[in-house]
Amino acid sequence: MILLTGLTKRYGETTAVRDLSLRVESGKVTGFLGPNGAGKSTTMRMILGLDRPTSGTALIGGRPYATLPHPLREVGALLDAKAAHPGRCARSHLKAMARSNGIPGARVETVLDTVGLSEVAGKRTGTFSLGMGQRLGIAGALLGDPRVLMFDEPVNGLDPDGVRWVRELMRSLAAEGRTVFVSSHLMSEMQQTADRLVIIGKGRLLADAPIAEVLASSSRNTVKVRSPHPAALSRLRDRLTAGHAEQPSPGELIVTDVPVERVGELAHEEGVPLHELTARKASLEQAYMELTADSVEYAAPGGGRT
Amino acid sequence: MISPSATTPSLPSVPASRRRSFDNGGLPGAMAAEWTKTWSVRSTWWSLLTALLLMAATAAQLGIYTTDTNTNTDPTDDKGIVAASEIAIQAIDLAQFAVIALAMLAITVEYSAGTIRATLQWMPRRAWMLMAKTAVVACVTFGAGVLMGAVGAAVGAAILGRWRSFSFAGTARDLLTIGLYLALICMFTLGVGTALRSAVGTLTSVFLFLTIIPASLQNSNITFFERISDALPGVAGARFLRGATDPYPPIVGLLILAVWAVAALAGGYAVLRRRDA
Repeated sequence: MILLTGLTKRYGETTAVRDLSLRVESGKVTGFLGPNGAGKSTTMRMILGLDRPTSGTALIGGRPYATLPHPLREVGALLDAKAAHPGRCARSHLKAMARSNGIPGARVETVLDTVGLSEVAGKRTGTFSLGMGQRLGIAGALLGDPRVLMFDEPVNGLDPDGVRWVRELMRSLAAEGRTVFVSSHLMSEMQQTADRLVIIGKGRLLADAPIAEVLASSSRNTVKVRSPHPAALSRLRDRLTAGHAEQPSPGELIVTDVPVERVGELAHEEGVPLHELTARKASLEQAYMELTADSVEYAAPGGGRT
Repeated sequence: MISPSATTPSLPSVPASRRRSFDNGGLPGAMAAEWTKTWSVRSTWWSLLTALLLMAATAAQLGIYTTDTNTNTDPTDDKGIVAASEIAIQAIDLAQFAVIALAMLAITVEYSAGTIRATLQWMPRRAWMLMAKTAVVACVTFGAGVLMGAVGAAVGAAILGRWRSFSFAGTARDLLTIGLYLALICMFTLGVGTALRSAVGTLTSVFLFLTIIPASLQNSNITFFERISDALPGVAGARFLRGATDPYPPIVGLLILAVWAVAALAGGYAVLRRRDA
Protein backbone atom coordinates (compact mmCIF):
# COMPACT_ATOMS: atom_id res chain seq x y z
CA MET A 1 0.00 0.00 0.00
CA ILE A 2 1.20 3.47 -0.88
CA LEU A 3 0.14 6.40 1.27
CA LEU A 4 0.76 10.00 0.28
CA THR A 5 0.05 12.78 2.77
CA GLY A 6 0.12 16.42 1.72
CA LEU A 7 2.88 15.66 -0.77
CA THR A 8 4.21 18.89 -2.30
CA LYS A 9 7.13 19.62 -4.61
CA ARG A 10 8.17 23.12 -5.61
CA TYR A 11 10.95 24.09 -7.99
CA GLY A 12 11.44 27.77 -7.28
CA GLU A 13 8.26 29.50 -8.40
CA THR A 14 6.70 26.45 -10.03
CA THR A 15 4.73 23.93 -8.02
CA ALA A 16 5.00 20.53 -9.66
CA VAL A 17 2.91 18.69 -7.09
CA ARG A 18 0.55 20.45 -4.70
CA ASP A 19 -0.70 18.97 -1.45
CA LEU A 20 -1.34 15.52 -2.88
CA SER A 21 -2.94 13.05 -0.46
CA LEU A 22 -3.99 9.62 -1.55
CA ARG A 23 -3.99 5.97 -0.72
CA VAL A 24 -3.12 3.35 -3.31
CA GLU A 25 -4.67 0.07 -2.17
CA SER A 26 -3.39 -3.44 -2.68
CA GLY A 27 -5.17 -5.96 -4.89
CA LYS A 28 -6.12 -3.29 -7.41
CA VAL A 29 -4.68 -1.61 -10.45
CA THR A 30 -4.72 2.11 -9.76
CA GLY A 31 -4.35 4.28 -12.84
CA PHE A 32 -2.50 7.55 -12.42
CA LEU A 33 -3.59 9.98 -15.09
CA GLY A 34 -2.79 13.51 -16.04
CA PRO A 35 -1.66 15.61 -18.97
CA ASN A 36 2.05 16.10 -19.66
CA GLY A 37 3.62 18.14 -16.90
CA ALA A 38 0.86 17.29 -14.43
CA GLY A 39 3.35 15.92 -11.90
CA LYS A 40 2.94 12.17 -12.35
CA SER A 41 6.62 11.31 -12.72
CA THR A 42 7.64 13.76 -9.99
CA THR A 43 5.17 12.06 -7.65
CA MET A 44 6.58 8.64 -8.48
CA ARG A 45 10.15 9.85 -7.96
CA MET A 46 9.19 11.24 -4.55
CA ILE A 47 7.61 7.91 -3.58
CA LEU A 48 10.97 6.25 -4.41
CA GLY A 49 12.96 8.82 -2.46
CA LEU A 50 14.72 10.05 -5.60
CA ASP A 51 13.33 13.56 -5.28
CA ARG A 52 12.93 15.19 -1.90
CA PRO A 53 9.41 16.53 -1.24
CA THR A 54 9.18 20.21 -0.29
CA SER A 55 6.63 19.06 2.30
CA GLY A 56 4.47 16.05 3.04
CA THR A 57 5.33 12.37 3.13
CA ALA A 58 5.19 9.31 0.92
CA LEU A 59 5.07 5.97 2.72
CA ILE A 60 5.16 2.43 1.45
CA GLY A 61 3.63 -0.04 3.89
CA GLY A 62 4.07 2.65 6.54
CA ARG A 63 7.74 3.43 5.87
CA PRO A 64 9.63 5.86 3.65
CA TYR A 65 11.21 4.04 0.70
CA ALA A 66 14.76 4.96 1.69
CA THR A 67 14.42 3.20 5.06
CA LEU A 68 13.37 -0.15 3.57
CA PRO A 69 16.16 -2.66 4.26
CA HIS A 70 15.67 -4.41 0.89
CA PRO A 71 13.68 -1.94 -1.19
CA LEU A 72 13.60 -4.03 -4.38
CA ARG A 73 11.95 -6.91 -2.53
CA GLU A 74 9.13 -4.60 -1.45
CA VAL A 75 8.74 -2.14 -4.31
CA GLY A 76 9.35 -2.75 -7.99
CA ALA A 77 9.35 0.27 -10.23
CA LEU A 78 9.71 1.06 -13.90
CA LEU A 79 10.58 4.73 -14.20
CA ASP A 80 12.08 5.15 -17.62
CA ALA A 81 13.07 2.70 -20.28
CA LYS A 82 16.67 3.85 -20.51
CA ALA A 83 17.64 3.15 -16.89
CA ALA A 84 20.33 0.66 -17.88
CA HIS A 85 23.88 1.59 -18.94
CA PRO A 86 23.93 1.24 -22.75
CA GLY A 87 27.22 -0.67 -22.63
CA ARG A 88 26.06 -3.28 -20.11
CA CYS A 89 24.18 -6.39 -21.18
CA ALA A 90 20.70 -7.05 -19.86
CA ARG A 91 21.80 -10.01 -17.74
CA SER A 92 24.62 -8.12 -16.01
CA HIS A 93 22.28 -5.20 -15.37
CA LEU A 94 19.81 -7.48 -13.60
CA LYS A 95 22.59 -9.39 -11.81
CA ALA A 96 23.99 -6.20 -10.30
CA MET A 97 20.46 -5.20 -9.35
CA ALA A 98 19.83 -8.59 -7.67
CA ARG A 99 23.11 -8.42 -5.74
CA SER A 100 22.31 -4.97 -4.40
CA ASN A 101 19.31 -6.40 -2.56
CA GLY A 102 20.49 -9.94 -1.83
CA ILE A 103 18.10 -11.45 -4.36
CA PRO A 104 19.06 -15.00 -5.55
CA GLY A 105 20.71 -14.97 -8.98
CA ALA A 106 18.20 -17.51 -10.30
CA ARG A 107 15.55 -14.79 -10.26
CA VAL A 108 17.44 -13.00 -13.05
CA GLU A 109 16.79 -15.84 -15.51
CA THR A 110 13.19 -16.16 -14.31
CA VAL A 111 12.30 -12.54 -14.95
CA LEU A 112 14.24 -12.46 -18.25
CA ASP A 113 12.07 -15.38 -19.32
CA THR A 114 8.89 -13.73 -18.03
CA VAL A 115 9.44 -10.63 -20.16
CA GLY A 116 10.74 -12.58 -23.16
CA LEU A 117 14.30 -11.25 -23.20
CA SER A 118 16.18 -14.52 -22.50
CA GLU A 119 17.55 -14.74 -26.02
CA VAL A 120 19.02 -11.24 -26.02
CA ALA A 121 20.13 -11.21 -22.36
CA GLY A 122 23.79 -11.16 -23.39
CA LYS A 123 23.39 -8.16 -25.70
CA ARG A 124 24.28 -4.65 -24.67
CA THR A 125 21.16 -2.68 -23.77
CA GLY A 126 22.29 0.20 -25.99
CA THR A 127 21.29 -1.96 -28.96
CA PHE A 128 17.75 -2.49 -27.58
CA SER A 129 14.64 -0.97 -29.11
CA LEU A 130 12.41 1.19 -26.93
CA GLY A 131 10.07 -1.76 -26.47
CA MET A 132 12.89 -4.09 -25.37
CA GLY A 133 14.07 -1.40 -22.97
CA GLN A 134 10.57 -1.29 -21.48
CA ARG A 135 10.60 -5.07 -21.08
CA LEU A 136 13.96 -4.91 -19.32
CA GLY A 137 12.56 -2.23 -17.02
CA ILE A 138 9.56 -4.44 -16.26
CA ALA A 139 11.91 -7.38 -15.60
CA GLY A 140 13.73 -5.18 -13.08
CA ALA A 141 10.47 -4.23 -11.41
CA LEU A 142 9.52 -7.90 -11.02
CA LEU A 143 13.01 -9.03 -9.90
CA GLY A 144 12.50 -8.78 -6.15
CA ASP A 145 8.99 -10.33 -6.26
CA PRO A 146 7.67 -7.16 -4.59
CA ARG A 147 4.27 -6.48 -3.03
CA VAL A 148 4.10 -3.00 -4.54
CA LEU A 149 4.67 -2.19 -8.21
CA MET A 150 4.87 1.18 -9.90
CA PHE A 151 5.02 1.68 -13.64
CA ASP A 152 5.53 5.02 -15.33
CA GLU A 153 4.05 4.87 -18.85
CA PRO A 154 4.76 1.12 -19.22
CA VAL A 155 3.32 0.65 -22.71
CA ASN A 156 5.44 3.36 -24.35
CA GLY A 157 7.08 1.91 -27.42
CA LEU A 158 5.40 -1.48 -27.17
CA ASP A 159 3.67 -3.09 -30.13
CA PRO A 160 -0.01 -4.11 -29.78
CA ASP A 161 0.99 -7.58 -28.57
CA GLY A 162 3.23 -6.04 -25.95
CA VAL A 163 0.48 -3.65 -24.86
CA ARG A 164 -1.91 -6.53 -24.33
CA TRP A 165 0.78 -8.46 -22.47
CA VAL A 166 1.44 -5.55 -20.09
CA ARG A 167 -2.29 -5.17 -19.48
CA GLU A 168 -2.61 -8.86 -18.59
CA LEU A 169 0.52 -8.73 -16.44
CA MET A 170 -0.87 -5.86 -14.40
CA ARG A 171 -4.23 -7.51 -13.97
CA SER A 172 -2.57 -10.72 -12.78
CA LEU A 173 -0.23 -8.86 -10.40
CA ALA A 174 -3.22 -7.13 -8.83
CA ALA A 175 -5.12 -10.42 -8.72
CA GLU A 176 -2.25 -11.85 -6.65
CA GLY A 177 -3.01 -9.14 -4.11
CA ARG A 178 -0.20 -6.77 -5.05
CA THR A 179 -0.46 -3.01 -5.19
CA VAL A 180 -0.19 -1.82 -8.80
CA PHE A 181 0.19 1.90 -9.51
CA VAL A 182 0.42 2.76 -13.21
CA SER A 183 0.77 6.16 -14.81
CA SER A 184 -0.44 6.72 -18.32
CA HIS A 185 -1.78 9.33 -20.64
CA LEU A 186 -3.54 6.65 -22.70
CA MET A 187 -7.07 6.82 -21.39
CA SER A 188 -8.39 3.93 -23.42
CA GLU A 189 -5.62 1.77 -21.96
CA MET A 190 -6.59 2.71 -18.40
CA GLN A 191 -10.24 2.06 -19.09
CA GLN A 192 -9.34 -1.56 -19.82
CA THR A 193 -6.76 -2.02 -17.09
CA ALA A 194 -7.46 0.06 -14.01
CA ASP A 195 -9.90 -0.51 -11.19
CA ARG A 196 -9.43 2.90 -9.73
CA LEU A 197 -8.32 6.22 -11.15
CA VAL A 198 -6.28 9.00 -9.67
CA ILE A 199 -6.32 12.03 -11.95
CA ILE A 200 -4.06 15.03 -11.44
CA GLY A 201 -3.63 18.26 -13.34
CA LYS A 202 -1.05 20.95 -12.68
CA GLY A 203 0.00 18.99 -9.61
CA ARG A 204 -3.45 19.00 -8.01
CA LEU A 205 -5.66 16.02 -7.33
CA LEU A 206 -8.70 16.23 -9.63
CA ALA A 207 -10.29 12.87 -9.00
CA ASP A 208 -9.63 9.76 -6.92
CA ALA A 209 -12.42 7.25 -7.44
CA PRO A 210 -13.34 3.91 -8.99
CA ILE A 211 -13.49 4.10 -12.79
CA ALA A 212 -17.29 3.78 -12.86
CA GLU A 213 -17.65 6.80 -10.60
CA VAL A 214 -15.35 8.96 -12.70
CA LEU A 215 -17.43 8.07 -15.74
CA ALA A 216 -20.74 8.68 -13.96
CA SER A 217 -19.66 12.12 -12.78
CA SER A 218 -18.96 13.28 -16.30
CA SER A 219 -21.35 15.85 -17.78
CA ARG A 220 -20.81 14.03 -21.03
CA ASN A 221 -23.36 11.50 -19.85
CA THR A 222 -26.25 12.74 -21.91
CA VAL A 223 -29.75 11.65 -22.90
CA LYS A 224 -30.83 12.04 -26.48
CA VAL A 225 -34.54 12.51 -27.18
CA ARG A 226 -36.10 12.53 -30.67
CA SER A 227 -39.71 13.34 -31.40
CA PRO A 228 -41.74 14.18 -34.53
CA HIS A 229 -43.52 16.97 -32.54
CA PRO A 230 -41.19 19.94 -32.02
CA ALA A 231 -43.73 21.79 -29.92
CA ALA A 232 -44.09 18.87 -27.53
CA LEU A 233 -40.35 18.61 -27.36
CA SER A 234 -40.09 22.29 -26.39
CA ARG A 235 -42.59 21.68 -23.56
CA LEU A 236 -40.40 18.82 -22.36
CA ARG A 237 -37.33 21.08 -22.55
CA ASP A 238 -39.04 23.65 -20.31
CA ARG A 239 -39.77 20.96 -17.71
CA LEU A 240 -36.12 19.89 -17.55
CA THR A 241 -35.05 22.67 -15.21
CA ALA A 242 -33.03 20.30 -13.02
CA GLY A 243 -30.45 19.81 -15.75
CA HIS A 244 -29.52 21.35 -18.99
CA ALA A 245 -31.35 20.75 -22.24
CA GLU A 246 -30.38 21.82 -25.71
CA GLN A 247 -32.48 21.60 -28.85
CA PRO A 248 -29.93 21.42 -31.67
CA SER A 249 -32.70 20.81 -34.20
CA PRO A 250 -36.50 21.09 -33.85
CA GLY A 251 -36.95 17.33 -33.53
CA GLU A 252 -34.03 16.62 -31.17
CA LEU A 253 -33.18 17.32 -27.57
CA ILE A 254 -29.84 16.68 -25.79
CA VAL A 255 -30.21 16.54 -22.02
CA THR A 256 -27.40 16.61 -19.50
CA ASP A 257 -27.46 15.98 -15.75
CA VAL A 258 -30.87 14.30 -15.77
CA PRO A 259 -31.13 10.51 -15.54
CA VAL A 260 -32.70 8.82 -18.54
CA GLU A 261 -35.51 7.42 -16.35
CA ARG A 262 -36.57 10.91 -15.28
CA VAL A 263 -36.52 12.18 -18.87
CA GLY A 264 -38.75 9.29 -19.88
CA GLU A 265 -41.24 9.97 -17.07
CA LEU A 266 -41.45 13.68 -17.92
CA ALA A 267 -41.97 12.88 -21.62
CA HIS A 268 -44.82 10.60 -20.59
CA GLU A 269 -46.36 13.33 -18.37
CA GLU A 270 -46.13 15.85 -21.21
CA GLY A 271 -47.47 13.34 -23.71
CA VAL A 272 -44.49 13.64 -26.01
CA PRO A 273 -44.42 10.99 -28.72
CA LEU A 274 -40.92 9.55 -28.76
CA HIS A 275 -38.91 8.13 -31.63
CA GLU A 276 -35.77 7.79 -29.58
CA LEU A 277 -34.72 7.95 -25.96
CA THR A 278 -31.05 6.99 -25.45
CA ALA A 279 -28.60 7.42 -22.63
CA ARG A 280 -25.14 8.12 -24.03
CA LYS A 281 -22.24 7.28 -21.74
CA ALA A 282 -19.12 9.36 -21.78
CA SER A 283 -15.92 7.55 -22.60
CA LEU A 284 -13.12 7.77 -20.10
CA GLU A 285 -11.31 9.89 -22.64
CA GLN A 286 -14.11 12.47 -22.54
CA ALA A 287 -14.42 12.38 -18.76
CA TYR A 288 -10.69 12.90 -18.47
CA MET A 289 -10.59 15.75 -21.01
CA GLU A 290 -13.31 17.47 -19.08
CA LEU A 291 -11.57 17.07 -15.73
CA THR A 292 -8.23 18.30 -16.98
CA ALA A 293 -9.49 20.99 -19.36
CA ASP A 294 -8.43 23.76 -17.00
CA SER A 295 -5.11 22.26 -16.08
CA VAL A 296 -3.45 21.46 -19.38
CA GLU A 297 0.08 22.76 -19.18
CA TYR A 298 0.82 22.85 -22.90
CA ALA A 299 -2.51 23.38 -24.63
CA ALA A 300 -2.77 23.74 -28.36
CA PRO A 301 -3.81 27.28 -29.27
CA GLY A 302 -7.51 27.83 -29.97
CA GLY A 303 -8.67 25.50 -27.21
CA GLY A 304 -7.73 22.25 -28.90
CA ARG A 305 -9.05 20.42 -25.86
CA THR A 306 -12.54 21.09 -24.62
CA MET B 1 10.33 -7.58 -31.88
CA ILE B 2 10.82 -10.15 -29.20
CA SER B 3 7.61 -11.74 -28.01
CA PRO B 4 7.13 -12.66 -24.40
CA SER B 5 7.51 -16.37 -23.97
CA ALA B 6 4.73 -16.77 -21.44
CA THR B 7 1.23 -16.35 -22.76
CA THR B 8 -0.11 -16.19 -19.24
CA PRO B 9 2.02 -13.53 -17.61
CA SER B 10 1.77 -14.84 -14.08
CA LEU B 11 4.94 -14.23 -12.16
CA PRO B 12 6.60 -17.26 -10.64
CA SER B 13 6.93 -16.22 -7.03
CA VAL B 14 9.76 -17.07 -4.74
CA PRO B 15 8.44 -19.65 -2.27
CA ALA B 16 8.08 -18.38 1.28
CA SER B 17 10.68 -20.88 2.50
CA ARG B 18 13.28 -19.40 0.14
CA ARG B 19 12.53 -15.87 1.19
CA ARG B 20 14.18 -16.53 4.51
CA SER B 21 17.42 -17.41 2.80
CA PHE B 22 17.49 -13.89 1.37
CA ASP B 23 20.07 -11.94 3.25
CA ASN B 24 22.90 -9.63 2.38
CA GLY B 25 21.67 -6.55 0.63
CA GLY B 26 22.59 -3.47 2.62
CA LEU B 27 26.16 -2.25 2.35
CA PRO B 28 27.70 -5.61 1.30
CA GLY B 29 24.99 -5.95 -1.32
CA ALA B 30 25.67 -2.44 -2.58
CA MET B 31 29.38 -3.25 -2.88
CA ALA B 32 28.65 -6.49 -4.74
CA ALA B 33 26.36 -4.60 -7.13
CA GLU B 34 28.99 -1.92 -7.80
CA TRP B 35 31.61 -4.61 -8.32
CA THR B 36 29.41 -6.31 -10.93
CA LYS B 37 28.68 -2.97 -12.59
CA THR B 38 32.40 -2.13 -12.77
CA TRP B 39 33.40 -5.30 -14.58
CA SER B 40 30.39 -5.50 -16.91
CA VAL B 41 31.26 -2.44 -19.02
CA ARG B 42 34.03 -2.26 -21.56
CA SER B 43 35.27 1.13 -20.40
CA THR B 44 36.78 -0.54 -17.30
CA TRP B 45 38.81 -2.97 -19.38
CA TRP B 46 39.86 -0.27 -21.84
CA SER B 47 40.97 2.03 -19.02
CA LEU B 48 43.06 -0.71 -17.43
CA LEU B 49 44.57 -1.78 -20.73
CA THR B 50 45.42 1.83 -21.55
CA ALA B 51 46.94 2.28 -18.09
CA LEU B 52 49.18 -0.77 -18.52
CA LEU B 53 50.28 0.25 -22.03
CA LEU B 54 50.97 3.82 -20.90
CA MET B 55 52.96 2.47 -17.97
CA ALA B 56 55.01 0.14 -20.19
CA ALA B 57 55.69 2.87 -22.74
CA THR B 58 56.59 5.52 -20.16
CA ALA B 59 58.78 3.10 -18.19
CA ALA B 60 60.59 2.14 -21.37
CA GLN B 61 61.19 5.78 -22.23
CA LEU B 62 62.46 6.59 -18.74
CA GLY B 63 64.67 3.49 -18.77
CA ILE B 64 66.24 4.48 -22.08
CA TYR B 65 66.72 8.03 -20.86
CA THR B 66 68.48 6.79 -17.72
CA THR B 67 70.90 4.50 -19.55
CA ASP B 68 71.60 7.19 -22.13
CA THR B 69 72.52 9.80 -19.55
CA ASN B 70 74.69 7.23 -17.76
CA THR B 71 76.71 6.65 -20.91
CA ASN B 72 76.94 10.13 -22.40
CA THR B 73 80.01 12.31 -22.09
CA ASP B 74 78.63 14.71 -19.48
CA PRO B 75 79.37 13.13 -16.06
CA THR B 76 76.92 15.52 -14.23
CA ASP B 77 74.06 13.78 -16.07
CA ASP B 78 74.94 10.43 -14.59
CA LYS B 79 72.00 8.84 -12.77
CA GLY B 80 74.06 5.87 -11.67
CA ILE B 81 72.42 2.67 -10.52
CA VAL B 82 68.62 2.94 -10.43
CA ALA B 83 66.11 0.61 -8.74
CA ALA B 84 63.83 -1.01 -11.33
CA SER B 85 60.68 -0.02 -9.42
CA GLU B 86 61.93 3.58 -9.25
CA ILE B 87 61.22 3.72 -12.99
CA ALA B 88 57.61 2.61 -12.31
CA ILE B 89 57.21 5.30 -9.64
CA GLN B 90 58.31 7.99 -12.07
CA ALA B 91 56.14 6.64 -14.88
CA ILE B 92 52.96 6.69 -12.78
CA ASP B 93 52.80 10.50 -13.14
CA LEU B 94 51.52 10.03 -16.67
CA ALA B 95 49.99 6.54 -16.60
CA GLN B 96 47.79 7.43 -13.60
CA PHE B 97 45.37 9.42 -15.77
CA ALA B 98 43.95 6.29 -17.43
CA VAL B 99 43.07 4.95 -13.97
CA ILE B 100 41.75 8.35 -12.87
CA ALA B 101 39.39 8.18 -15.87
CA LEU B 102 38.15 4.82 -14.60
CA ALA B 103 37.44 6.26 -11.14
CA MET B 104 35.74 9.28 -12.64
CA LEU B 105 33.49 7.15 -14.87
CA ALA B 106 32.29 5.17 -11.82
CA ILE B 107 30.13 8.16 -10.91
CA THR B 108 29.89 10.53 -13.90
CA VAL B 109 28.53 7.87 -16.25
CA GLU B 110 25.59 7.44 -13.85
CA TYR B 111 24.58 11.01 -14.62
CA SER B 112 25.43 11.04 -18.33
CA ALA B 113 23.62 7.74 -19.01
CA GLY B 114 20.78 8.54 -16.60
CA THR B 115 21.33 5.39 -14.56
CA ILE B 116 21.66 7.25 -11.25
CA ARG B 117 17.92 6.93 -10.64
CA ALA B 118 18.09 3.17 -11.06
CA THR B 119 21.15 2.99 -8.82
CA LEU B 120 19.47 5.01 -6.07
CA GLN B 121 16.32 2.95 -6.45
CA TRP B 122 18.39 -0.18 -5.72
CA MET B 123 20.36 1.53 -2.95
CA PRO B 124 18.27 4.40 -1.61
CA ARG B 125 20.64 4.98 1.30
CA ARG B 126 22.88 7.44 -0.48
CA ALA B 127 25.72 7.19 2.02
CA TRP B 128 25.87 3.43 1.43
CA MET B 129 25.79 3.89 -2.32
CA LEU B 130 28.77 6.25 -2.17
CA MET B 131 30.61 4.05 0.34
CA ALA B 132 30.11 1.05 -1.93
CA LYS B 133 31.44 2.96 -4.93
CA THR B 134 34.38 4.21 -2.87
CA ALA B 135 35.25 0.71 -1.69
CA VAL B 136 35.10 -0.74 -5.20
CA VAL B 137 37.06 2.13 -6.75
CA ALA B 138 39.69 1.87 -4.02
CA CYS B 139 40.05 -1.91 -4.45
CA VAL B 140 40.19 -1.84 -8.24
CA THR B 141 42.60 1.10 -8.46
CA PHE B 142 44.85 -0.27 -5.71
CA GLY B 143 45.10 -3.51 -7.68
CA ALA B 144 45.65 -1.58 -10.88
CA GLY B 145 48.43 0.41 -9.20
CA VAL B 146 50.24 -2.72 -8.01
CA LEU B 147 49.90 -4.33 -11.42
CA MET B 148 51.11 -1.20 -13.21
CA GLY B 149 54.02 -0.98 -10.79
CA ALA B 150 54.96 -4.57 -11.61
CA VAL B 151 54.78 -3.90 -15.36
CA GLY B 152 56.78 -0.67 -15.00
CA ALA B 153 59.44 -2.37 -12.86
CA ALA B 154 59.71 -5.29 -15.30
CA VAL B 155 60.09 -3.01 -18.33
CA GLY B 156 62.49 -0.80 -16.38
CA ALA B 157 64.58 -3.78 -15.26
CA ALA B 158 64.82 -5.09 -18.82
CA ILE B 159 66.00 -1.78 -20.23
CA LEU B 160 68.28 -0.58 -17.41
CA GLY B 161 70.54 -3.62 -17.81
CA ARG B 162 73.79 -3.09 -15.89
CA TRP B 163 72.51 0.17 -14.36
CA ARG B 164 69.75 -1.73 -12.57
CA SER B 165 69.40 -2.58 -8.92
CA PHE B 166 66.66 -4.88 -7.68
CA SER B 167 65.46 -6.22 -4.34
CA PHE B 168 62.26 -8.09 -3.64
CA ALA B 169 61.53 -6.16 -0.47
CA GLY B 170 62.21 -2.78 -2.07
CA THR B 171 60.14 -3.59 -5.15
CA ALA B 172 57.24 -4.93 -3.06
CA ARG B 173 57.28 -1.77 -0.94
CA ASP B 174 57.28 0.42 -4.06
CA LEU B 175 54.41 -1.50 -5.66
CA LEU B 176 52.30 -1.16 -2.50
CA THR B 177 53.19 2.53 -2.38
CA ILE B 178 52.00 3.00 -5.97
CA GLY B 179 48.77 1.08 -5.23
CA LEU B 180 48.03 3.12 -2.13
CA TYR B 181 48.82 6.40 -3.89
CA LEU B 182 46.62 5.55 -6.86
CA ALA B 183 43.71 4.37 -4.68
CA LEU B 184 43.75 7.66 -2.74
CA ILE B 185 44.04 9.80 -5.88
CA CYS B 186 41.11 7.87 -7.35
CA MET B 187 39.02 8.29 -4.18
CA PHE B 188 39.71 12.01 -4.45
CA THR B 189 38.55 11.88 -8.10
CA LEU B 190 35.40 9.97 -7.15
CA GLY B 191 34.57 12.61 -4.54
CA VAL B 192 35.08 15.45 -7.03
CA GLY B 193 32.99 13.57 -9.62
CA THR B 194 30.16 13.05 -7.14
CA ALA B 195 30.09 16.76 -6.39
CA LEU B 196 30.38 17.95 -10.02
CA ARG B 197 28.49 15.14 -11.80
CA SER B 198 30.06 15.91 -15.18
CA ALA B 199 33.00 14.07 -16.70
CA VAL B 200 34.56 17.14 -18.29
CA GLY B 201 34.33 19.18 -15.10
CA THR B 202 35.76 16.35 -13.03
CA LEU B 203 38.69 15.60 -15.30
CA THR B 204 39.54 19.29 -15.62
CA SER B 205 39.40 19.86 -11.86
CA VAL B 206 41.48 16.80 -11.05
CA PHE B 207 44.07 17.71 -13.69
CA LEU B 208 44.23 21.27 -12.35
CA PHE B 209 44.67 20.09 -8.76
CA LEU B 210 47.22 17.39 -9.52
CA THR B 211 49.33 19.11 -12.16
CA ILE B 212 48.62 22.67 -13.29
CA ILE B 213 48.08 24.50 -9.99
CA PRO B 214 51.08 22.97 -8.16
CA ALA B 215 53.33 23.67 -11.15
CA SER B 216 52.26 27.32 -11.36
CA LEU B 217 52.63 27.82 -7.62
CA GLN B 218 56.09 26.26 -7.54
CA ASN B 219 57.25 28.30 -10.50
CA SER B 220 56.24 31.50 -8.73
CA ASN B 221 59.34 31.31 -6.45
CA ILE B 222 57.27 32.91 -3.72
CA THR B 223 57.64 30.92 -0.50
CA PHE B 224 54.02 31.39 0.53
CA PHE B 225 52.76 29.92 -2.74
CA GLU B 226 55.25 27.10 -2.51
CA ARG B 227 53.94 26.21 0.95
CA ILE B 228 50.40 26.12 -0.45
CA SER B 229 51.57 23.86 -3.25
CA ASP B 230 53.13 21.51 -0.67
CA ALA B 231 49.65 21.00 0.77
CA LEU B 232 48.00 20.08 -2.54
CA PRO B 233 47.10 16.42 -3.19
CA GLY B 234 49.33 15.91 -6.22
CA VAL B 235 52.44 17.30 -4.53
CA ALA B 236 51.76 15.50 -1.26
CA GLY B 237 51.15 12.28 -3.19
CA ALA B 238 54.36 12.68 -5.16
CA ARG B 239 56.35 13.21 -1.94
CA PHE B 240 54.83 10.02 -0.55
CA LEU B 241 55.60 8.13 -3.76
CA ARG B 242 59.20 9.28 -4.04
CA GLY B 243 59.99 9.00 -0.32
CA ALA B 244 60.95 12.67 -0.09
CA THR B 245 61.98 13.99 3.30
CA ASP B 246 61.82 17.73 2.70
CA PRO B 247 59.75 19.68 3.70
CA TYR B 248 57.89 16.77 5.33
CA PRO B 249 58.41 12.99 5.53
CA PRO B 250 56.56 10.63 3.13
CA ILE B 251 54.06 9.57 5.79
CA VAL B 252 52.88 13.19 6.09
CA GLY B 253 52.47 13.28 2.32
CA LEU B 254 50.30 10.17 2.59
CA LEU B 255 48.21 11.76 5.34
CA ILE B 256 47.73 15.00 3.38
CA LEU B 257 46.59 13.01 0.34
CA ALA B 258 44.22 10.95 2.50
CA VAL B 259 42.73 14.14 3.98
CA TRP B 260 42.09 15.44 0.45
CA ALA B 261 40.43 12.16 -0.55
CA VAL B 262 38.17 12.15 2.50
CA ALA B 263 37.34 15.85 2.08
CA ALA B 264 36.42 15.39 -1.60
CA LEU B 265 34.21 12.41 -0.74
CA ALA B 266 32.56 14.35 2.09
CA GLY B 267 31.90 17.23 -0.29
CA GLY B 268 30.51 14.82 -2.88
CA TYR B 269 28.25 13.25 -0.27
CA ALA B 270 26.97 16.66 0.85
CA VAL B 271 25.84 17.34 -2.74
CA LEU B 272 24.52 13.82 -3.28
CA ARG B 273 22.45 13.87 -0.10
CA ARG B 274 20.84 17.23 -0.78
CA ARG B 275 20.09 17.18 -4.48
CA ASP B 276 17.33 15.37 -6.35
CA ALA B 277 18.54 12.47 -8.43
